[in-house]
Amino acid sequence: MDFILSGLQKGLALIFTGNAEVYAIAELSLLVSLFATGVAVLIGVPLGSFIAVKKFPLKKLAISIINTGMGLPPVVAGLFVMLFLSRNGPLGFLEWLYTPGGMIIAQIIIALPIITALSVSAMQSVDPNFYRQILTLGASERQAVWVCLKEIRLTVTAAVIAGFGRLISEVGAVMIVGGNIRHQTRVLTTATVLETQMGNFDTAIALGLILLMLSFVINLALTFLQQQRAGAK
Amino acid sequence: MIKLKDIRLGAAAGFNLLIDSLDVGEGEIFAVIGPNGAGKTTLLNLLALLSDAGEGSMEMLDRNAFYGANKMFLRRAMSVVFSQPYLINDTVYKNVALPLKLRGVHDYGCVAEMLELFKIAALKDRNASRLSQGERHRVSLARAFVTRPKLVLLDEPFSSLDARIKSSITRDLRRVIKAAGAAAVLATQDQAEALTLCDRMAVIINGRIIQQGAAQDIFARPVSKEVADFVGVETIIGGKITGKSENLCSVKVGDKVLEVIAEYNAGDSVFVCVRPEDVAVSKSAEAGSMRNHFKAKIISIEPWRLEYKLSLDCGFNLISAVTKQSVESLGLKAGAEVFASFKATAAHLIKR
Repeated sequence: MDFILSGLQKGLALIFTGNAEVYAIAELSLLVSLFATGVAVLIGVPLGSFIAVKKFPLKKLAISIINTGMGLPPVVAGLFVMLFLSRNGPLGFLEWLYTPGGMIIAQIIIALPIITALSVSAMQSVDPNFYRQILTLGASERQAVWVCLKEIRLTVTAAVIAGFGRLISEVGAVMIVGGNIRHQTRVLTTATVLETQMGNFDTAIALGLILLMLSFVINLALTFLQQQRAGAK
Repeated sequence: MIKLKDIRLGAAAGFNLLIDSLDVGEGEIFAVIGPNGAGKTTLLNLLALLSDAGEGSMEMLDRNAFYGANKMFLRRAMSVVFSQPYLINDTVYKNVALPLKLRGVHDYGCVAEMLELFKIAALKDRNASRLSQGERHRVSLARAFVTRPKLVLLDEPFSSLDARIKSSITRDLRRVIKAAGAAAVLATQDQAEALTLCDRMAVIINGRIIQQGAAQDIFARPVSKEVADFVGVETIIGGKITGKSENLCSVKVGDKVLEVIAEYNAGDSVFVCVRPEDVAVSKSAEAGSMRNHFKAKIISIEPWRLEYKLSLDCGFNLISAVTKQSVESLGLKAGAEVFASFKATAAHLIKR
C-alpha cells in the first residue's frame, strides 16, 4: 500500500515541478491524438453523412464493414501500418516508421471507423423528410447534409469525444508504429507501460495521472461545448 | 408552367402513378384531392423532383424536368411546403432566411417583408423549437415564399392545424399566392380547404387522375362512382334508363322511377347520384316544383357536420341533410314517415 501512496506523491511532485520530459511526452500524446481525431473527423463525418443519405448498392454491407471497424484491435491496425511504412513496404519511401507521422496514420485508421459509424447512425436519426425539405429549399446535396449536420451537432460531438477518448488511451498501435523512442515517439501510454515494466511506479503514476487529466480536460471542454448547444435549444 | 404527359411511375418510386395529362397554368392554384394513399404525395414528390424520374414527359417552366441538369434550376424556382413544418433549430428569422442563404443571396430585405406578411414579425428572434404548431406553419410558409418562387407545391400543408388557425392561414395563403403570381399545386384530402384555395382541381384515386376541372363541376358532376363517393355524394344507387324525353331521363330504381336531366340514352345502366344537401324533407305530400317526390320512412338520424343526416327508405336508400331547426320543427325521428324530394337537375347520372 505504501508504494502506491509514495508513487502518487512522487507522481504529483513530477507534475507540479514541471518535469520537462514528462511534459514533452504529454505534449506529443496530445498532438498525435488531436491531429488524428481532427483528420478522422474531417473524413469520417462527411463520409458517414453521405453513406447515410445516399442510396447505393451494397449500402448495408458498407455500413456493416464500418461497424466492424469500430472494434478494430489497435495492435492489428498498428501492425498493418508498420508493414506498409517499413522500408520494404509500399509506403516505405515516406520514411514515417517510428515517427509521430506514422503514429498519426495508425490512430486515424483506428478513429475513422468509429467516427464514420457514429456519423452514419447520427445522420440516419434525422427525419428523411427534414433532409428532403432542405433540398426543396434550394440546397445542393452537400448543403443539405451540412444543414442536417448542424441539427445533429450534439450527436456528432459525442462521436468526436468517443474517437478522441479511444485514441488518447490507445497503446498498441503507437507502440508498434512509433517504437516508444525516447524524445521522439514516446507518448503517455507507451511511457506508462515502459516505466511500469522498469518498476518506476512513481513516474508511471505521474504519467497515468497526466493522461487521466488530459483526457478529462479535453472531454470536459467538448462536453461543455455540447451541453452549451443543448442548452440553446 | 407545369405539363405532365403519359407519366408512368413504377413501384420503385414507392407507388404506381399513372397520369395521362395534367396542366397547371401560370398564376393558377390547382388542387389534387383524393383519399389517403391515393398517390397525392407521390405526385407532389414527382413535381418537387424528389422521386426518380418515371416514363413520360414532365415540363416545368418550359424545361424538361426529367433532365438532370435542369434539376437545380427548377428546385430553386419552386418551394415545397410539407404537412409537417420542418424547421432548423435556430431563430424564426434565420429559418425564413435559409433559402436565401442556400442560394448565396446576401440581401435579406424580403425576410422582414415575409415575416410581416405571415404575421410572425414579433417572433423573429424566437427559437423555432419554442413555437406553437400554427406559428411553425406560418414560418414554413414565410420561408417558402421568401425566394418569390414561380411554383409552390403544398402537400397537405394544414393537416395538423385546428379549424380556426387553418381558416386564417388559408385565407392569407390564397392572397399571397395570387399576389406573387405563382402557380401552386395543393395536395389535400380536405375538400373545404381545396375549395377555399383552388381555381381548378383533380381527383386522384389509386394512383390515377380520374377527373380534373373546375371544382364546382367535379362536385356536381363526378365522372365515376369513386369520385362521387369521395366528393361527398352520399346517395349512389344503380338503375336503368327506361325512357327519355329531350334531356329528361326516366331511371328505374327498384320499383321507383326517378327523373333526371342527363345526356344518356334509354337502355343505359347508370348510377344515380344525389348530394344530401339537395334532398328536401317535408311532411307535405305536395311535390311543388320537384320532379322527384317520394314517401319515405326515416331509418336513422345522426349528427353530420353542423346539420343532421337522415337515412331514408323510399323504396331505395336516400340520404338527406337537414338543419337542426328542421329536425325540431318537423319532429323528425327514426321510424317517422316523411316526404323526400329533389329536382331533376340535382341528380347526376354516371354510366355503369
